[in-house]
Amino acid sequence: MLQLRFTCLLCFAVFAAFLATSAVHAHHGWAWASDEEFEITGVIQSVRLGNPHGRVTITVDGEEWVVEVGQPWRNDRVGLTKEMLSPGREITVHGHRAAEEDMRKVKAERVVIDGKDYNLYPGRDS
Amino acid sequence: MTEQLLVFVEELAFVSALRNSTFMYPLVNAGHILGISMLIGGIVPLDLRLLGLWRNYPVMVFVDVLRVTSAVGLGLAILFGALLFATAAVDYVGSPLFQAKISLVLLGVLNALILGRTFKRMDIQSLPMRARMPLALRAGAALSLGVWISVLILGRFLGYF
Repeated sequence: MLQLRFTCLLCFAVFAAFLATSAVHAHHGWAWASDEEFEITGVIQSVRLGNPHGRVTITVDGEEWVVEVGQPWRNDRVGLTKEMLSPGREITVHGHRAAEEDMRKVKAERVVIDGKDYNLYPGRDS
Repeated sequence: MTEQLLVFVEELAFVSALRNSTFMYPLVNAGHILGISMLIGGIVPLDLRLLGLWRNYPVMVFVDVLRVTSAVGLGLAILFGALLFATAAVDYVGSPLFQAKISLVLLGVLNALILGRTFKRMDIQSLPMRARMPLALRAGAALSLGVWISVLILGRFLGYF
C-alpha cells in the first residue's frame, strides 16, 4: 500500500516537473526581459566576456546601458570577440530590453558593428 | 589591496580558462548543485527528526548518516562554489546578496558545530526511542532549517540580481 502511494507521488512529481519545464522553456534566462522587440545604438564603454554570459556596457545619450551578449561558445560561433567590442566603438543591439522601465539592460539577439551583423540567436526573430 | 587580490584571482590562468570555457563552467556549476543537494537533502530530514518527525526510527540513525551526507555536501558546495566565485570575484565581493549568503553559511556551520557538541553533552544516544528532544536541540534544528534554506534562496537570487 505504502509502495503504491510512493509510486503515485513519484509519477505526480515527474508530471509536475514536465509541465513546469515546458512552460518556462521558451524563456530560459529571459525572464526579466520584455517580449517586445527592441533596438538601441550606443558607444561601447567597457566589456567583460565569459560565463555565464558576457556583459557590454554602452553609453546612449549620456546614460549607461548594460547589454547581455552570449556565453563564450555563442559569441565564438558568430566570431564576436573582445577586440571587436573594444571601448569607443559604435554598436547597435537588437533584442529585448528589461521589462522594468527604469532598468537599462538589454538581452542581445543580434548586434551590428561596422555595418556587419552578428546574429547570436539565428533561431529567433530580431 | 583586497581589490588587487581579487583581480589577481580572476586573472589566474585556470580561472580565466574556466570563465571562457564551454563545458567546464556548467560542469563546475553542476558540482556546486550536487553539493547543495546533498547538504539540503541531508540536513532537512535530520532537522525534522530532531523537531519530532519520524520518532519511530532511532535518532542516531539520522544523526550518523545525514550529518556525514550534509557535511560532504557542504564540502563539495564550498569547493565548486569557490571556483565559481573566482571567475567574478570582484563582483561577488561587492554584492550584498553574496555577503549575506556567506554570513549565513558561517552561521549555519557554527550552529552545526554547537549542535554536535550538544548531542554529546546531553547524551542523546541514551534517550528513549520516542523521546522529545531537549529544547536546545530543537531550537538549533529550527535555526538550521531556516539558515540553510535561506542560503539556498540567496544563492539562487545571486544569479538574477
